[in-house]
Amino acid sequence: MKRRSFLTRLGAASTLGAIGGLSAPAILTGTGRAWAQSGEIPVGLLFSLTGEVAVVERTLHDAAQLAIEEINAAGGINDRLLKVHVEDPASDPATYADRARRLFIRDNCVSVFGSYTSASRQAVLPVVEQRKGLYWYPTLYEGRECSRNIMYGGAVPNQQQQEFVPWLVKNFGGKFYLLGNNYVYPKEENNVCKMLLGQLGGEVLHEEYVPLGHSDFSSVINRIRATGPSVIFSTLVGDSDVAFARQYHAAGFDPEKMPVASLTRSEVEVAAIGGEAAAGHLSSAPYYMGYQSPENERFVEAYKARYGADQVTHFVSEAAYFQVYQFKAALEKLDPAAVTAEAIRDAAVGVTLKAPQGEILVDPNLHTHLWPKIARWKSDGQAEILVQSAERIAPEPYWAYPGETCTGEGLVRG
Amino acid sequence: MNRNNTSDYLGHLVFVLAILLGVPAALGFDGFELNTFARYLSLAIVAAALALSWGTAGILNLGQAATFGIGAYVMAMHLKLVASAGNPDGLPDFMGWNNVTSLPWFWQPFQSLGATLALGLALPALMAWAMGIFMFRARITGVFVAIITLAFLVALQLWFIEEQRFTGGQNGLTGLAPLDLFGWQVDTYSLGFYYLVAGCLIAALALGTLILRSKVGLVLRAIREDSQRVRYFGYDVAGYETFVFSTSAAIAGWAGMLYALVLEFASPTYIGVAFSLAIVIWVAVGGRESLVGAAVGAILVNLAEGRLSDLFVESWLLILGVGFILFVLFLPRGLYGLLRQGFDRLARLRMRAAGRDVKPQESAR
Repeated sequence: MKRRSFLTRLGAASTLGAIGGLSAPAILTGTGRAWAQSGEIPVGLLFSLTGEVAVVERTLHDAAQLAIEEINAAGGINDRLLKVHVEDPASDPATYADRARRLFIRDNCVSVFGSYTSASRQAVLPVVEQRKGLYWYPTLYEGRECSRNIMYGGAVPNQQQQEFVPWLVKNFGGKFYLLGNNYVYPKEENNVCKMLLGQLGGEVLHEEYVPLGHSDFSSVINRIRATGPSVIFSTLVGDSDVAFARQYHAAGFDPEKMPVASLTRSEVEVAAIGGEAAAGHLSSAPYYMGYQSPENERFVEAYKARYGADQVTHFVSEAAYFQVYQFKAALEKLDPAAVTAEAIRDAAVGVTLKAPQGEILVDPNLHTHLWPKIARWKSDGQAEILVQSAERIAPEPYWAYPGETCTGEGLVRG
Repeated sequence: MNRNNTSDYLGHLVFVLAILLGVPAALGFDGFELNTFARYLSLAIVAAALALSWGTAGILNLGQAATFGIGAYVMAMHLKLVASAGNPDGLPDFMGWNNVTSLPWFWQPFQSLGATLALGLALPALMAWAMGIFMFRARITGVFVAIITLAFLVALQLWFIEEQRFTGGQNGLTGLAPLDLFGWQVDTYSLGFYYLVAGCLIAALALGTLILRSKVGLVLRAIREDSQRVRYFGYDVAGYETFVFSTSAAIAGWAGMLYALVLEFASPTYIGVAFSLAIVIWVAVGGRESLVGAAVGAILVNLAEGRLSDLFVESWLLILGVGFILFVLFLPRGLYGLLRQGFDRLARLRMRAAGRDVKPQESAR
């Protein structure tokens, strides 16, 4: 209402012409301030539907949307339906910040599900913390963060590496070539990897970072040939990972003797790489599309039925999906009259849930206990799971930094 | 000329009143809406800065985002240091992660707010001055200026991403403290903050207009039309060009400082090609011949973007793109040009009605 009068006035004042006419109908989205009475629970989806990370983020959007639709089809939460506010932050941090303000302040969302990159999570952080909102972040990330307003659904370094690196050393040898894109995530993962190698008596032959989007790996491949490592430990993301995998395959390296062990490669990247070039290489992740559990069969079937038989699920989209159910489980514990973002957060701690990857648990530090699995990619684009961790692994976002612990009270030093 | 000035002043008055009174009232003094609009206003400042060099002197700076980004980083560095006061040695967290053990010397000045505000204007201006000397002394003009500034922008962004230890890399500078402006704790969702940004916009526009209306502005317009002839008259063309280029950079840095305050982080995307080209589009939409026109262009495009993305979640970028193409095809002089044309036509009709025969004339030059 406010905006309508604003636009007409401004339109009159400054001869908006065509644009004024265009924006006039844009006032349809109502504010959610009276949601407690309206009987709907406002939630936001903040995944890029356009721009450079849209390829991945759309799958996260789809997975979260699927869970919301399933919940609404089954009657909602405590007899109230979820009202979804969808925004497209267009892969741009400033737009993330703007849209997050809309969702948390204007639309009064009690929770927002969003983000793939760390940069976009960081852009959202100021408004989430100030407004005491709750942001559900499904992606694996570098750890070393302990916000009380973010629910972390993805793996932190200890969950992906504490079994993977010793297993690699045992099976292939301890001479590692660390290769990643130049930003904080690969550097942190490699810090953890170096710490583990130190304990295991392995060594780092070379550590290298290429710019994001870098796609010419000929000099890297020459260096790999010259140094002769036993494992290429990769934290390349997106296009870089795809380009490297193809060029590595074309260079004729044998994955049996010198595999690429990746923390970031999922079904999405493998589909882009092509099965033949990806086959034989290794990944560590809590979830693969081919994992066999009744929950995963249901998830994959529903996902394909909704979005097409050629679609893939992967370890981030699985988290985007189960986080909506964690949200539901938390809300069910609350009195509908007393729902705030912080109440949801407190209720979510300790929630266990049968996710597609196995039974998961929300830690007091708001990260998730997960089931890491070591897998080898097959030429059909699916993963063959070689090792399933014997027990659920607790998230320790400050694992490599003794003296710092992320707890239910936030970060504790000393 | 006089006629133009009268309608221009009238336009300025309407604009200032709308920004100071109309907009806050229309937004119902709502904190979220004011914050969003303050963001548009800070972007309007950088658009006006581009119009100053492009519209007046014909220097198309495709790297305007570079100076804007420097301003944003300068402000963010100060706020990051304030936020890190409790850390060992006052060291920002990301430096610790990158094994930096003590605060680098070039971070030291940003401990002080006064130095920060001064450097936010001076650094971009100095940078532009150095570039200006190099480009304009060599009599580089037109598309080559555009290419050089664009290349510089790309290099600068790469540097900010690569030097993660000092700049926060891809994530930029996050986790900032709120600004304490000489005892006033700035709440970015308040009317006070809105007026801070609006005041800065009006001040920047006034400064720019002052330059345009002065003799310097006249020489700059002459340079745009025929720099060779101005040179024959004995004017230091490179000096004038460098001056307007640096002033434009300082204003852009000013806008960047405000932008970092609104969004509460600085990101390397502020120094990106996409953002830099967006500024050019806003100016083209508003009309590069007028500073206020460029500012209005920035506000309208961002407003339209905001509303369109609310309405058409899936296709807003596409609609916006088509809109820009239509604009450039049918309104190459932007909204200001359209308005100008309308005024001229009106004046001609009036004169004809008064029985005087006038030849149609080219407007606004």
